[in-house]
Amino acid sequence: MEIENLVTFCRALRERGLSVTPAEVVTAATVLQVIDTKDRDEVFLSLRSVLTTSIDDFPVFAELFEAFWNRSPRKLIERDSGTTVRARNVSPPKGLAFFLENWSASVRAGAAPVKVPGASDTASRAHKDFTDFSHEELEQISQLARRIVKRLASKPSRRWQPVARGHHRVNLRRSLRLSLKTGGELIELAYKRRRAKRTKLVVICDVSGSMDMYSRLLLQFVYGLQNSFAKVESFVFATTLSRITGELKNKTYRRALDRLASNVQGWSGGTRIGASLANFNVQWLRRIDKRTVVIILSDGWDTGEPEQLAHALSKLQERAGRLVWLNPLLGNSMYQPLTRGMQAALPFINVFAPAHDLASLRALEPHLVL
Amino acid sequence: MREEVRHIQQMLANEVYIADAGIATALYLSMALGKPLLVEGPAGVGKTEIAKALAHALDTKLIRLQCYEGLDATTALYEWNYPKQLLHLKLEESSSASEAEKEAAIFSEAFLLKRPLLQAITEHERAPVLLIDEIDRSDEEFEAFLLEILSDFQVTIPEIGTIKATHRPHVVLTSNRSRDLSDALRRRCLYHWIDYPSLDKELEIVRAKVPTIGQVLSQRLTTIMQRTRTMGLSKIPGVAETLDWANALVALQATELNDEIMAETIGCFLKDEADVATFKATQIATD
Repeated sequence: MEIENLVTFCRALRERGLSVTPAEVVTAATVLQVIDTKDRDEVFLSLRSVLTTSIDDFPVFAELFEAFWNRSPRKLIERDSGTTVRARNVSPPKGLAFFLENWSASVRAGAAPVKVPGASDTASRAHKDFTDFSHEELEQISQLARRIVKRLASKPSRRWQPVARGHHRVNLRRSLRLSLKTGGELIELAYKRRRAKRTKLVVICDVSGSMDMYSRLLLQFVYGLQNSFAKVESFVFATTLSRITGELKNKTYRRALDRLASNVQGWSGGTRIGASLANFNVQWLRRIDKRTVVIILSDGWDTGEPEQLAHALSKLQERAGRLVWLNPLLGNSMYQPLTRGMQAALPFINVFAPAHDLASLRALEPHLVL
Repeated sequence: MREEVRHIQQMLANEVYIADAGIATALYLSMALGKPLLVEGPAGVGKTEIAKALAHALDTKLIRLQCYEGLDATTALYEWNYPKQLLHLKLEESSSASEAEKEAAIFSEAFLLKRPLLQAITEHERAPVLLIDEIDRSDEEFEAFLLEILSDFQVTIPEIGTIKATHRPHVVLTSNRSRDLSDALRRRCLYHWIDYPSLDKELEIVRAKVPTIGQVLSQRLTTIMQRTRTMGLSKIPGVAETLDWANALVALQATELNDEIMAETIGCFLKDEADVATFKATQIATD
């Protein structure tokens, strides 16, 4: 591969979302000088080690490399951006994807109220259902999220910080420095104590058809959490599980939603909670520890096997500090958790709470602090 | 394939580490460009082994820094030897040395405890292999601190001054992906992913590491391990478990995998009660 091709190749990678900066391009160019550039596999392996930073990048890299090794680069770029555009127009938006794309518009215009189960029984603002919330009210949700995040920072960590005095560990390093003032006699002692440590949150949100109205609420909530410096991991699922932490982080809400709409695939009518959680366990269970609160938001309408759901939940609860299940249907006083999925899940849930309005979210606050 | 890459592969093979072209190329580039190598992959696929085999092959020191939450500069880089400092001050109590002299004395290299990172930088004979194991277990603060060291290979100790690396160590970082590493750190490193090995490669590893195991038994055992990984278990066994099991079978002088032997040794590769049940159910269904 020649230098000009390489630069175009790197540009193509960047367009597909890989973090390839000029520094990497320079490294890649250096690499080409020290390897056998006629050996396809060697070029592939070498450039991959320089230009990717995670296994998640591998498929895109392999695809583009394949195209580059065989075709003229200029054509590739055109062809490539062409397909992306087309793909977006062709696939008709459905479910959450549809909602996401129309989200900001609906906020500005004031979303039309939609009748859903779990509707409020009082008329007060705090009890208004999330189905017809306005922009300002959604802002309140963000504020609540920020407040919760602050409370999460309360546990001692493994790191130390110096303190003036009190019943803490002696800080030898400082004490010794102090002793020099008195000719090496330890008279004044310095102390240290454990720093506060944050609880981690993992949010797994059901975005299947029946949950659309509530997903809107929770995504706003999760977005608020995510951007208040807390350790929050977020996932969504309908029939398959996707991690959306990256999509929500460090962006304006608008951009975050745009990214979600274009990056997350596989929305459809059905819900497979059991399979999605089992999948979560395989990939992400390692991130869960006793300082983690896991929040699942779902109405419990599972089309899969209840045993699978029960098994996945038991694993999750075993490892997590607390398992919270938010079911918007609980907001309706007539609702009883009788679905097979919900029945199977109940034994493993630490906190089972509604999440259909702002008041229910406020009530959630104490449960999120371990 | 470049001669050097093949050479590395051969060198590692001599250390009984079966390296594919991917890892050999990554190691070659890491040495040629002087960049750290970040190795990711599931538990028990031999990420740590790479650094060990490399150090052996290069006949150099392996310096290992095991990461954990709360790991900080005093455990990773250096710490002053306080008891020794105190003792020294006591002994010098009656001496006429001034305060400044005393201070200079106890904050000299003789009172410095070198932790792994400083050791790796000050190793004077030849470049050591520095293994930073399970970097994902440390916290973000440490990662930021590490970035600094990995970019310049020099350390500033306020009381002594700046210490520069005499030889740039070969740095290998491993991660199990239990949390996201920062982009800055990832970009500083070359990246390599090690997956569970294919049947052929695993067979090769087993026969190389446990040479006394029979042809038939090793084939059978490896096939079972490969199948076990597709059962959706909560703790998927890695190559380390395969080798444990192979060693156990050799120790028991087993020649075949009958029910009795299976029952005795299943704990070598399944470490979870529910997994054992799943395994048995699937095994019966497929046999």
